[in-house]
This record gives sequence, C-alpha cells and structure tokens, in this order.
Amino acid sequence: MNTLSGLFLIAGSAFAMIGGIGSVRFPDLLSRMHAAAKAPTLGLVLVAIGAAIEIGTTLAITTLILVVILQLLSSPVGAHALSRASRRQVVISLDDVDDLSRDEESD
Amino acid sequence: MSAAALVLLFVGAGCFMYRLLRGPSLPDRVVGLDGLLSIIVIAIIVLAARLGSGSGSAIETVLVAVLVGFVGTVALARFIERRGD
Repeated sequence: MNTLSGLFLIAGSAFAMIGGIGSVRFPDLLSRMHAAAKAPTLGLVLVAIGAAIEIGTTLAITTLILVVILQLLSSPVGAHALSRASRRQVVISLDDVDDLSRDEESD
Repeated sequence: MSAAALVLLFVGAGCFMYRLLRGPSLPDRVVGLDGLLSIIVIAIIVLAARLGSGSGSAIETVLVAVLVGFVGTVALARFIERRGD
C-alpha cells in the first residue's frame, strides 16, 4: 500500500474514532451531536482521498467524489433536523440566550 | 496500514454502540445510530482501498448507505418531533 494513501486512511479513521469518543464523553445532547456529526464527516473526506489515491480508477474516483458531496450536504441537514426536533424534550444546558424560543413566542 | 485504520474504526464503533445502547433519551440513540453508520461507511471505503482495484462494487454500496442513513436520520427526527411528549 502507498504510504501517502495509508496516512490518509489512518488520519480519517482517527477522526472517526475521536467523534465516537466525544459522543461518549460529552455531557448533553447538543455537545454529543457536535462531536458525532462533524468529526466523522471530516474522517470520511480524508479516507475518500486516501482510497482515491490507492484505487486510482476513474469510476472509483468519481463515485468517491459523489459520496463526499452527498455526505457534506446531508450530515448538517440531518443534525439540524434532529437538534430542532429534540430541543423541547431533553434537558440541554444552554446559555441564557435561546433565540429560537424567543422567536416562536413573539409570533 | 489499513489494519491500523480498521483498529481505530473498531474503537470508534464501540463508542457509538455504547451511545446507541445506553441512551439515555431517544435523540441520543439516533446520534449513536447515525455515527455508527458513518463508521460503517468509512470502514467499507478502507476495505475497498485495502483490496485495491479488485474491490468490485464496494464503493457503490457506500453511495447507497450514505443516502439511506440520511433518510433514516431525518425520518427519526420527524418522528421525535411529532411524538411530542
């Protein structure tokens, strides 16, 4: 295996592992979501770069680019939908600024 | 080197599995499920890179898994929002 692609694979896997550790260690839902949504996405980008270097065929590279674009689009949308849906139902240690509740009350 | 990457992914998958099984609330379990699917996607890409040009259609499998994971997360979020307890 190529050294450069191996380093990309290990770096991406390490980011995914850091996301998992963050989802265990952080105290409340939004912090866990912060760790679990962003770190594996960066890990996927790095691993896709490593696999594209390693495999090298045009079909694999174009499919990996498509996978990365879809993950970069869908991960924030999914995290936003989940955090907005669960905001009233779980205890979240927010600051004293809660703009979304204020906007809904003023309607 | 891909073996070391798979060991790291195994540790991350164990952490997300803990969050999926332990909870404590339903959104926490959804976070664990979403992260576990991300780990699986990354592991399939690492295995495809390990197999090199003989990996067949493993990358196409990843494309389907990303889309199914997105639809599943959004559907569970709508369910949590509508449940309203």
